[in-house]
Amino acid sequence: MRRVKIKFLLVMKLTTILLLVGALHVSASTFSQTVTLSRRKTSLKQVFKEIKKQTGYFFFYKGQLLQDKPDVMVEFNNASLVDALNASLKDQKLSYNIVNKTIVISRKENLPVVAASLAVKIEVKGVVADKATGETLPGVSVSIKNGASVGITNDKGEFKVNVDEGSILVFSYVGYDLFETKVTATKTLNVKLTSKMTQMNDVVVTGYQTIKKDNYTGNAVTISGDQLRRVNPQNLLQSIGTFDPSFKLIDNNLAGSNPNRIPSINVRGASALPSGDGQVLRRDDIQGSVNMPVFMLDGYEVSVQKVFDLDVNRIASVTSLKDAAATAIYGSRAANGVIVITTKTPLEGKLRVEYNYELNLTAADLSDYQVLDAAEKLDYEVLAGLYSSAKQQVSQDQLDEIYYHKKANVVGGVNSYWLSQPLRNTIGHKHAVNLDGGSQAFRYNVNLRYQTRPGAMKGSARDQYSGGMSFQYNVKKLQFRNELSITQVGATESPYGDFSSYVRMNPYYPLKDANGMAMRISDVYEKQDRSKEYVFNPLFDASLSSFNKSKYTEIIDNLSADLEVAKDLRLRGQMSVTTRSNTDDVFTSPMANKYYLYTTDKIDEKGEYMNREMKETYWDSNIRLTWLKQIGGNYFNALVGVNARTELRDQKEFTAIGFANDRFTSIGFAKGYAEDGKPQSRLEKARLFGSFFSMNYSYKNRYLMDGTVRIDGSSKFGVNNKLAPFWSFGLGWNVHQEEFLKGNPVISQLRIKASTGLTGSVEFDPYLSKTIYKYNTGNWYSSGIGAGVNSYGNENLGWQKTRMTDIGIDIGLFKDRVMIMPRIYKKFTKDILADITLPPSTGFLSYKENLGDMENKGAELGITVDALRSKDWSVNLNANMVTNRNKVVRISNALKKYNDRADELQSLKPGDGGYRGIPLLRFSEGQAFNAIYGVRSLGIDPENGRELYLKRDGTLTYDYDKRDYVVIGDPNPKVSGYFGGTVNYKRFSLYVQFQTYFGGDKYNLTLVERVENADPRYNVDKRVFEEKWKQPGDLSFYKNIADNGETDVSSRFIQPDNLINLQSVNFSYDMNKKIASKLSMSSLMFQVTANDVVRWSSVKEERGINYPFTRSLTFSVRAAF
Amino acid sequence: MKIRLLICLILITGLFSSCKKWLEVEPESEIAAPVLFSTENGFMEAINGVYNRSTESDLYGKELTFGTTEVLAQNFSMREDGQDYRQTSLYNYKHGEFIKRKDKIWAGLYNAIVNCNLILENVDAKKNIFNGNNYAIVKGEALALRAYLHFDLLRLFAPSYLRNPSAKGIPYANKYTKEITPVSSVSETINLIIKDLEESKQLLIADPIRSAGYIVNYPLVTDTLKNTEEKNSSLFLQNRRHRLNYYAVCGTLARVYLYKNDKVKALQNAKEVIDSKKFPWTAKSDFEAFEDSKKDRILYKELVFGWYIPGAAKDIKDNWFQSGTRGFYLIEDAADYIYEKATAGASDSRYKYWLSATSSQSSRSYDIVKYRRNPLSTEAGANLHYLIAPAIRLSEMYYIAAECSYASNPTVAVNYLTQVREARQIGDPLTINNEEDLLKELLKDSRKEWLAEGQLFYMYKRLNRGIVGQTGVIIPASDNIFVLPLPNDEVVYGGR
Repeated sequence: MRRVKIKFLLVMKLTTILLLVGALHVSASTFSQTVTLSRRKTSLKQVFKEIKKQTGYFFFYKGQLLQDKPDVMVEFNNASLVDALNASLKDQKLSYNIVNKTIVISRKENLPVVAASLAVKIEVKGVVADKATGETLPGVSVSIKNGASVGITNDKGEFKVNVDEGSILVFSYVGYDLFETKVTATKTLNVKLTSKMTQMNDVVVTGYQTIKKDNYTGNAVTISGDQLRRVNPQNLLQSIGTFDPSFKLIDNNLAGSNPNRIPSINVRGASALPSGDGQVLRRDDIQGSVNMPVFMLDGYEVSVQKVFDLDVNRIASVTSLKDAAATAIYGSRAANGVIVITTKTPLEGKLRVEYNYELNLTAADLSDYQVLDAAEKLDYEVLAGLYSSAKQQVSQDQLDEIYYHKKANVVGGVNSYWLSQPLRNTIGHKHAVNLDGGSQAFRYNVNLRYQTRPGAMKGSARDQYSGGMSFQYNVKKLQFRNELSITQVGATESPYGDFSSYVRMNPYYPLKDANGMAMRISDVYEKQDRSKEYVFNPLFDASLSSFNKSKYTEIIDNLSADLEVAKDLRLRGQMSVTTRSNTDDVFTSPMANKYYLYTTDKIDEKGEYMNREMKETYWDSNIRLTWLKQIGGNYFNALVGVNARTELRDQKEFTAIGFANDRFTSIGFAKGYAEDGKPQSRLEKARLFGSFFSMNYSYKNRYLMDGTVRIDGSSKFGVNNKLAPFWSFGLGWNVHQEEFLKGNPVISQLRIKASTGLTGSVEFDPYLSKTIYKYNTGNWYSSGIGAGVNSYGNENLGWQKTRMTDIGIDIGLFKDRVMIMPRIYKKFTKDILADITLPPSTGFLSYKENLGDMENKGAELGITVDALRSKDWSVNLNANMVTNRNKVVRISNALKKYNDRADELQSLKPGDGGYRGIPLLRFSEGQAFNAIYGVRSLGIDPENGRELYLKRDGTLTYDYDKRDYVVIGDPNPKVSGYFGGTVNYKRFSLYVQFQTYFGGDKYNLTLVERVENADPRYNVDKRVFEEKWKQPGDLSFYKNIADNGETDVSSRFIQPDNLINLQSVNFSYDMNKKIASKLSMSSLMFQVTANDVVRWSSVKEERGINYPFTRSLTFSVRAAF
Repeated sequence: MKIRLLICLILITGLFSSCKKWLEVEPESEIAAPVLFSTENGFMEAINGVYNRSTESDLYGKELTFGTTEVLAQNFSMREDGQDYRQTSLYNYKHGEFIKRKDKIWAGLYNAIVNCNLILENVDAKKNIFNGNNYAIVKGEALALRAYLHFDLLRLFAPSYLRNPSAKGIPYANKYTKEITPVSSVSETINLIIKDLEESKQLLIADPIRSAGYIVNYPLVTDTLKNTEEKNSSLFLQNRRHRLNYYAVCGTLARVYLYKNDKVKALQNAKEVIDSKKFPWTAKSDFEAFEDSKKDRILYKELVFGWYIPGAAKDIKDNWFQSGTRGFYLIEDAADYIYEKATAGASDSRYKYWLSATSSQSSRSYDIVKYRRNPLSTEAGANLHYLIAPAIRLSEMYYIAAECSYASNPTVAVNYLTQVREARQIGDPLTINNEEDLLKELLKDSRKEWLAEGQLFYMYKRLNRGIVGQTGVIIPASDNIFVLPLPNDEVVYGGR
């Protein structure tokens, strides 16, 4: 056993030497027989090392020999080797022997043994306090190391114990680090304990394990709750993105700032392809959860919706795990990153009440909308030829009549600003109360929240109510914790409909009639085929009693137990149950404009009510065994465990039609079901089981290693593929722990780490791997009900595999006042789920297969600078950025077919259900998944006002041909990120954060739809007056003004997409505790946060098509009693 | 300590090893194939499912009964083109709408076939879960359906046997797989079809329809001595004629053998149906009844096999056969020509009661009322019979018998045709001097009999004869007309 150890040490030494050869070659050049060394306090080992360095003599000794040897003070000035050794080993009970060039150290024999009985009892007393706050801590347990407890601090934090002289006292307190001190004489000790909370930034919480950041090779961004609340107290997801730019909220230009729209998120680029349900994809409305990271809340998986509706005050920390080393423990769910959220645990002590109030003001940001006013609009109509009989094929008299009718409106002062009609400035409130308290043995927490989130469009809102209760019970080596939380969210969509319908309304239409009622029809156009086109007043629909609301109630119970099985070994178990019941109710009034043109035989079919109910139940449990052990310089943090999860979703839906009038909005007033309508239901079940082993190892804090293995089984996999293995491996080197960097005045931290691994994703419907039969319930055959096969069940169906490789360096300069953290990564996703088109003679049109590869490569950089630190002032600056290149490596034949369909739809006019002029997503190998495809354009020919295209072969043409499609732009920015800083003066603090991206391309749809192809019958963008081509010789960006044809997608409208957005400004004041206590509060804090204050973009485009974007301002007060 | 550690480890490994079964999750609002095929009921539902699939409007619920194939036989007028079939009637096989419909027929038939294959792959292993004769019925019908559906694919997408028996036929899909099935030649395909049908015939030997107690009649007839079609306590064994029963298999075999020009076997099978005397001719009083609810428009009792399509009633009324010239209709000249108004047509019940004259401003035309339901009632039993898409008629057996026996015994052959004519109240005597005369008469009578039933096109193709237009203009026979092109997806992804 011992021999093994020696050998191990030798191997370690050899490895060290090899590793250090490069760095040490200068100092290793000469050796002497004398030693010069001056150290006030250093370990024997260091002395040996130094001697070896100077003399070239090797030391040989058994590993544990130097353990527990007290530090020595050495002062050699050209001392001989023998003298130096004698002096060093004095009082160490060690002797030495020089053989050739090796010094053998051994235990000195015949030492006088100090009898235990000789030890003297001494009295030690003192006070224990929190290191950060200075508050005294009652109930801290005091014990002798490896021995019995000797006492506990009283309510003033004082203690008094009688112990043997020279023994080591250990102070322990839940939530705080252990503190050890050796007592040598009777004296008063002032012990300061460090709270684990304040060291949040020094550890990484992986959800199953807590690992010292210094020893971790994974890539994790840890953000404290306070930091998050500072960036955006209303939107947690956006706040996370500010700290980790790889966590990207996908801009949805259609949904804008709709409070009920849950954003789509990508971590480190997209890694999924659409599964062809025949739908084409617009790039401004990318939805779906296939790319979503996994959210883990206190150890169990939750949906993004849960995070969206979470009370931000409850959050203690958020950790974004990205690379394989960090995420592999989540196995088949890890490929898109893991966000680990921990909530606050109850604090010990007297009852503590914390109250938080927030006032949130929002206003729509219409700065991107530049529409014409009434007079301008009418002028534009004339220019566009709406009143020229030659163009309209209507007699001039008729046209004149229409013109003068409108002119009368304009002259009469009608100049409606439609844009503001559906909008409002909103005030949202939040009240949150949090109660904590209890003894060490039993602690509790109760929290309540009421929050309203009105949206910028009238009537739209999301109201959140939540309450929670948790308690923690500690008995000796056992700890129980139970948390119960109940959330209710009510979401209402605006009855005003799409914002775009207000943008297009002509300003010369009056809003309301003489009686103040919204008139139903604003205008009627006669089309060429003599049929009529009605312009309905959208305000009329808004005045009806139609509604669209949804609600859910969620109950979560999370029970965990933690048992210290043995020293260094803990067994933890956790079980959580989530139930959520969702209800959607959508009522369309029978008076709504959409029924206006119903024929008389359908008069009793007007009005519609849709009701949908969904019940969700999730069980998530895990058992894990953790082992933390330090053996010499070897530090182990190992974990083995299992995790099981079940998901159940049960959905029912039905629609009733035929309502008598606008007042009866209850479903019971419906006449019946829609023709052929029948109730719908869907039941989904899925199960997951995983077992994992993970080990974090470090040697002397210098050499780091992480390894993880997880084996997952999922009910979604095909029967031939039930178990999926995942793994990761990481290595790191804390260079700053090496001797040659110790005490370096510039470099205080230098860590190099690299990791690689395989993770997976199974975000797909639960029964794809099975051959499923569907019952034909609506149509029985004369001999009974029939069941038909629905899809080809691919029994080989497996998971998406993502191979991730990461290399990172952490550099700390000037005592870590400057931190620079560059990373590079490669993420290769294999076997993406895709549709494979089959020859129909197989009986199926397509089936699901793991086919499709995608690659994301990128780099991340984070910089923080502690620029100024003085008694009253401190200034911190931070910047982070990311660059990601996405490439589709392999796609299936079904996606190639999808491209054909996109081609077809792109040549159809929007009126005919097409997307002409709108670049749809299409996929080709070697390109980014969201690359913009179109024909290269050379602009407008000044000769004739036609667009000149570049064909594939390089020749010029006026004829648009979709065979000339090439990639004309990459919407992915070259660099995106955030920068900003904090300035603190005494108790005031100012925090500013900018968002930026640049280097990408954008297809400016506003210029196409609202300027060049503007429909002159509706209101348009002001730039419509910009010079279009009128006569030969005109140099113009826009085509011939007389050309009414639709514009096709070309590179003409590609613009560089650069942005700087003042995303967040926060100002806070934390009241002096003394003053606060006069108000009988323990603390009082005021904060103001402004979000999305100003933005500078290189693309002038209408933003927020169906719902505008907003700016917001939040005032908050937090008081603790 | 070591013991505690051991306990923990055992706990964890114990949990791990028992997970595999736990991971088997069965859907509930749908059903996985192995679960469906674990009960007798499941097999029955799967068989019903094939019929259900086949009666959708892309197959026998429209296109293969009174849609595409009927348009190709020039049996509808196209002066107005309410349903976008004119290009189909002009044999423009590049027309988008035609391609869509034809591709759906191909995909739909194979989709129904896959359902048969799933049943056939599971049924033998589960033989012991069946009661009574049900195993033979399930397996026999699944085989028969597979053959029947393939036969229509062959008749549509491959050249006729007469033209070229060794030409490329169709893939005969008899496995549940995503792998591509190779194409068999026309004669190979026919042999595979016959093999399945003969096996089916053996299995269905104890089909309840063969028992003397099975009496065919209208569903409204509740007298159990006169109608036993719905008297079986098992719903699955009722209405045998809505499924591929023993005689339907015989009928299909007669059809297939005739297509293969094996007249001996064709005659043998046709005669088996005729001689069973199971299917009585429709009484004149039923055909010509005045009241809608007492009228037999479909000649229900003569149906050896028909698809049950009550769900199509609304579309038939409002879209496909709506009164006027937006749906399927015949202009007066065409109807008069087809039914030989001047001669045999005068007394033909089919002419009198399947066509209903409507007049518009420009010209007179006929609504086709074969599928019309009693408009006064929404009750299922409001008519004398169910809404059904005829698949095999007794009359077809007579035609086959006539065609197959002329060479050996011309008198008997002519007599078969005469019996059909008499059943339709045609009194004019036939003058047939040679086989060609007989074929001409058979073609004419088939056209009258099968109006809006989708079978005539195959007859022209089988005999490789020019298609007779609406008023007698002959469209020359050609594989360009008779062979529908394969779907693009089949060519590209199947490498055809």
